Amino acid sequence: MNVEQKRKAESILALALSTLAAFSGLFWLVFILGDVLVHGIGALTPALFLNDPTPPGVVGGGLRNAFVGQLMITAFATLIGVPIGILGGTFLAEYARGTRTARAISVLSDIMVSVPSIVVGTFIYAIMVKTVGHFNGWAGAVALAVIMIPVVLRTTEDMLSLVPWTLREAAFALGAPYYRVIIEVVYRGAATGIFTGVLLSIARVAGETAPLLFTSFNNSFFSTDMRGPVASLTATIFQYAMGPYEEWHMQAWGAAFIITVFILLITIAGRLIIKWRYK
Amino acid sequence: MSDQVEIEAKDLSFYYAGTIHSLKQVNLSAHKMAVTALIGPSGCGKTTLLRCFNRMHDLYPKNRYEGQIIFEGKDVLSSDVDVIKLRSKIGMVFQKPTPFPMTIFDNIAYGLKLKGITNRSELSEKVEKALKNAALWDEAKDKLNVSAYDLSGGQQQRLVIARALAVEPHVLLFDEPTSALDPISTSKIEELIVQLKNNVTIIIVTHNMQQAARISDWTGFMMLGELIEFDRTDKMFTAPSEKLTEDYITGRFG
Repeated sequence: MNVEQKRKAESILALALSTLAAFSGLFWLVFILGDVLVHGIGALTPALFLNDPTPPGVVGGGLRNAFVGQLMITAFATLIGVPIGILGGTFLAEYARGTRTARAISVLSDIMVSVPSIVVGTFIYAIMVKTVGHFNGWAGAVALAVIMIPVVLRTTEDMLSLVPWTLREAAFALGAPYYRVIIEVVYRGAATGIFTGVLLSIARVAGETAPLLFTSFNNSFFSTDMRGPVASLTATIFQYAMGPYEEWHMQAWGAAFIITVFILLITIAGRLIIKWRYK
Repeated sequence: MSDQVEIEAKDLSFYYAGTIHSLKQVNLSAHKMAVTALIGPSGCGKTTLLRCFNRMHDLYPKNRYEGQIIFEGKDVLSSDVDVIKLRSKIGMVFQKPTPFPMTIFDNIAYGLKLKGITNRSELSEKVEKALKNAALWDEAKDKLNVSAYDLSGGQQQRLVIARALAVEPHVLLFDEPTSALDPISTSKIEELIVQLKNNVTIIIVTHNMQQAARISDWTGFMMLGELIEFDRTDKMFTAPSEKLTEDYITGRFG
C-alpha cells in the first residue's frame, strides 16, 4: 500500500467511526422520543386534562391537578428567577464590568449551573420546608428559581457584553444617564438574546423532578394553594411510573409526552429566535 | 468664520488610569462658526484631546485631567459641572456609525426625549429638521419607521450626525467620522460638515491631511501628546512655522 492509499484508507476509517458514533447517539435519542410519543399519544384523552386523579380502579381519572400545579410552580419560578437573573447579569456586565467581584460571581454562577439539582432541592428543603413543617408549592418555585438564576444571569451577562461599547458611548455623548443607556439602548440591542436565554432556562427547569420531590412534593388532589403540597407533572410521572396500576402507567406516559413536547417547543422556539436574529 | 472663541483648552494635561502624560499642557481655542481639525500620527493624542471636551473620559475610572477647558465662561473640568447637561451641549460623532437598535425616527428622537420633549408633533418637527440639516431627509423620509440598521454605512453616519444635531448642541466633536466610509459617502459628510459650521462649532479629528486641508479653517498638529502647532489651515499647509509640522504634512513621517 502506498502513502496515498494509506491516507485514503485512514480517511474512510475515520469517517466510518465518526458516522457510527453520531448515529448511535442519535439512535437512543430518537428511540426515547419515539417511545414517549408512541405511548404518550394513546394516553391523550380529554379526561387526562379535565379530571383529577381517581382512586386506583376507578376509571376516568386525569391529571388536571398536575398540569395546573406544574404551570403554577414553573410560572412562579420564572417570576422569581428571571428578574433576579437579568438584574444580576446587568450588574456584572455594566456596573461591575471588569472588576474582580464580577469575575468571581461569574465563575460561581458557572459552578451553580452544574450543581446537581437535587442538592438545590435539599437546600431549599432545609430552609423552606423543614422550618414550616410541611411540603409547600412556594418551596418548589424557589428551588426551580434558584436553578434558573445562574442560567439567566450568565446569558444576560454574555448578551450585554456583545453590545458594542461605542453604542453606549454614543448614548452617553447625547447626555443620557447610565440607567437610561442600559434600559433604552443596551437592553434593546440584547433583547432577543436575553429572551432566548429566559426561554431555555424555563425549558431547563420544566423537566426537573428531584428538587420538587423535596419541596412541593406531590398532591393527589387539585390544589392551587402554594402554601401546601402542589402536584407537578414530573413528580407525578415518578410516582405513577413506579406504581402497580396499568392506568397509572398510561397517565404517566401521557404526562411524559406533554412535558417532552412542551420543552421541545420552547427549545425549538429559542433556537429559531437565535437563528432569525443572528442570521 | 469669526474670531470669537467657543471653547478653549488651557494648559490641559490628561492621564489615563495609571499611566504617564497622554496630553501635555495643550492650549487650543476652537473658534465659533469654524471647523477646527486635529491631525497627527497615530497615538499622538488627537482623540484623547477630543474626548476631554465632553468629558467622555469620565466613563472609565481613575482617568485624570489637569488644567482647564473654558466653555460658556466656565471650566468644563470642574467637579460641580453637570456632565449630562454638558454632553447635551457638546455632541459627538464617532469613527464607526453608532445607530441605536431602533427606528430612524426613534434614533433621532432619543436625545430629544432625554431633554424631556414628549409632544409627538414637536418631536416630528424636530426630527424632520435634524434630518434635513444632516442631508438625509430625502433618503429617509419614507422610512422613518424602519430600523436604522437598514441604512447604508454613509447614511448611518449622517443619521448619527442628525441625532447629534437634533438636541441643538453648540459644539460638535467628530472623531475620524469618515475613516470607515467609501469616497462618495466621505465627500457627502465633508460637504455636510462645511455647511454645519454656520450653526455649530466643529472640532474634527482626522487621519487624512487632505481632508483637514479641504474642510477646516484652523488646524492643530499634535505629536506625542503635545500640540506642536496651531494656526489657520491655509497657513499650516503652506507655510508651517515648525519643522515637525512641515515634515509631517509633506509625508516625511507618520
